[in-house]
Amino acid sequence: MKRHTVKELQNMIAEQSISSEEIYQLYLNRIKAMNDSINAFISIESDEISPSSEQESSEIKGIPYALKDIFCSEGDKTTCGSKMLANFVSPYDATVVKNLREKGTVILGKTNMDEFAMGSSNETSFYGNVHNPWDKERTPGGSSGGSAAAVAAGMAPIALGTDTGGSIRQPAALTGITGLKPTYGRCSRFGMIAFASSLDQAGILSISAEDAAIFLEHMAGYDQKDSTSSTEEVPKYTDFLNNDLTGKVVGLPMEFFDGSLDSKYQGLVSESIHAYEKMGVQFKDISLPNIKYSVPTYYVVAPAECSSNLARYDGVRFGHRSTENTDLDSFYKQTRKEGFGPEVKRRIITGTYVLSAGYYDAYYLKAQKVRQLINQDFLNAFEEVDVIMGPTTQQSAFKLGDKMDDPVSMYMNDIYTISSNLSGVPAISHPIGFVDNLPFGMQVIAPHFMEHDLLNIVHQYQMATDWHLQTPALCREFD
Amino acid sequence: MTIEKSDIEHLCGLSKLNLDEEEQSLFLNQMQSILKMIKELEEVDTEDIIPMAHPLQMSQRLREDEVTEFNERNKYQKNTNSSEDGFYKVPKVID
Repeated sequence: MKRHTVKELQNMIAEQSISSEEIYQLYLNRIKAMNDSINAFISIESDEISPSSEQESSEIKGIPYALKDIFCSEGDKTTCGSKMLANFVSPYDATVVKNLREKGTVILGKTNMDEFAMGSSNETSFYGNVHNPWDKERTPGGSSGGSAAAVAAGMAPIALGTDTGGSIRQPAALTGITGLKPTYGRCSRFGMIAFASSLDQAGILSISAEDAAIFLEHMAGYDQKDSTSSTEEVPKYTDFLNNDLTGKVVGLPMEFFDGSLDSKYQGLVSESIHAYEKMGVQFKDISLPNIKYSVPTYYVVAPAECSSNLARYDGVRFGHRSTENTDLDSFYKQTRKEGFGPEVKRRIITGTYVLSAGYYDAYYLKAQKVRQLINQDFLNAFEEVDVIMGPTTQQSAFKLGDKMDDPVSMYMNDIYTISSNLSGVPAISHPIGFVDNLPFGMQVIAPHFMEHDLLNIVHQYQMATDWHLQTPALCREFD
Repeated sequence: MTIEKSDIEHLCGLSKLNLDEEEQSLFLNQMQSILKMIKELEEVDTEDIIPMAHPLQMSQRLREDEVTEFNERNKYQKNTNSSEDGFYKVPKVID
């Protein structure tokens, strides 16, 4: 079976050329054949109940998807890539999972990820790193690396991920697929294991922007169980997919084009800008003066929230529990020592430091003020342009092991993506070509709740180009 | 602002996390470079800037005070092997 988009599967089901049960089985077979070499899935849900006739009829009924192992799905193991949750079975569905289940979609399995979503290469997973289907010696990116690799390799037509600092867009760019981080609050965070609550957002990794539009409508929306979810009406995103781009004004921030991008990648970015110009898009140079502080701001705010959120893993009610228990204090300390990996431990310690007495004002409060300035830069820019474009990453997929010893160098992977999380604006990455047989991605950023605009822009590009349809050579062995 | 080994030990206590000697010295080095990066923020003028606590300008939403969830203790306690009679067991706290 070749790689299919959700749109193609919808048509196949509608034409009755294949049943949804057959589709589910075909993907399961493909996962079973490929997972040993890619390691995209931590668990395979081969006993998922096939969509029943009781479920409402919907346009996505019978479409299978891969679910990042950060989302609770009732009755399934949910590890969050950690030893801490190795035996945790979700007692309930995350709201986005529940929403999709009610529409008749089926979970194929839970995908590999950096431990508690902390990482940009999928190498911090307790369950081993994921291999990039384009080159198995390389990272698929992270933290939603399993979801990205699964879609790129055709092990799932579409996958859910989460994005706290680029964890959907960066892996999408590195595996040659489309990755959408919606506006903060667009999708409920209930049942999505918390890393940094003011930054975390659920989103989609798919072959095309059209597929993301199809799924987002059914995932998004206000949820009483997440007080930070938005009541903003969810549009029918697919209704916006055929809007002409003539007259659209796109900002190119000089800070993203400061000469630091290698010329081989810059060439691809220029080509895609040219392709957009042919569609009637106008480009305008803009400045986001505080964006250079995104990475340091993020690495104060995210660890601070992480240290607070991960306090819940105490070994008492769920999760790993140390058997070396002399007294309560050492029981907690030992449980957490055994359950967490090094990246998570370092972030807990860093977060505790920036929040501790005497340092709170100098670090945390300062970072939250700079965050306000970064947000203001976006709001100012959107007064003059419709969307902002730039590269998603500074390079294509790097070799596994290359950056593991130097956290600051690893953190710099997210230099272009982090600012959208700090501001809460939606952003999408889409493939724009290849350098040395490795895909490279371009990011489009829009004002809050303008996902329909992002999806339409990328859809227009994907109608005119076929970068998003390129498949890794490895896939053909299994087609 | 520099960070020392004694700080790491103090932070381990605050965050209820044991680290072995090797991890402590590794983290000390790594945190020094992370803090050096974070130090860049000092150059930004943030006079009169209101800290951004949340990406959306929204107020906390309240709901009617009605029971919406029911007690599912048995279901939730399936995730531990150390409960008894509906209670969670922990090491002895009071002598």
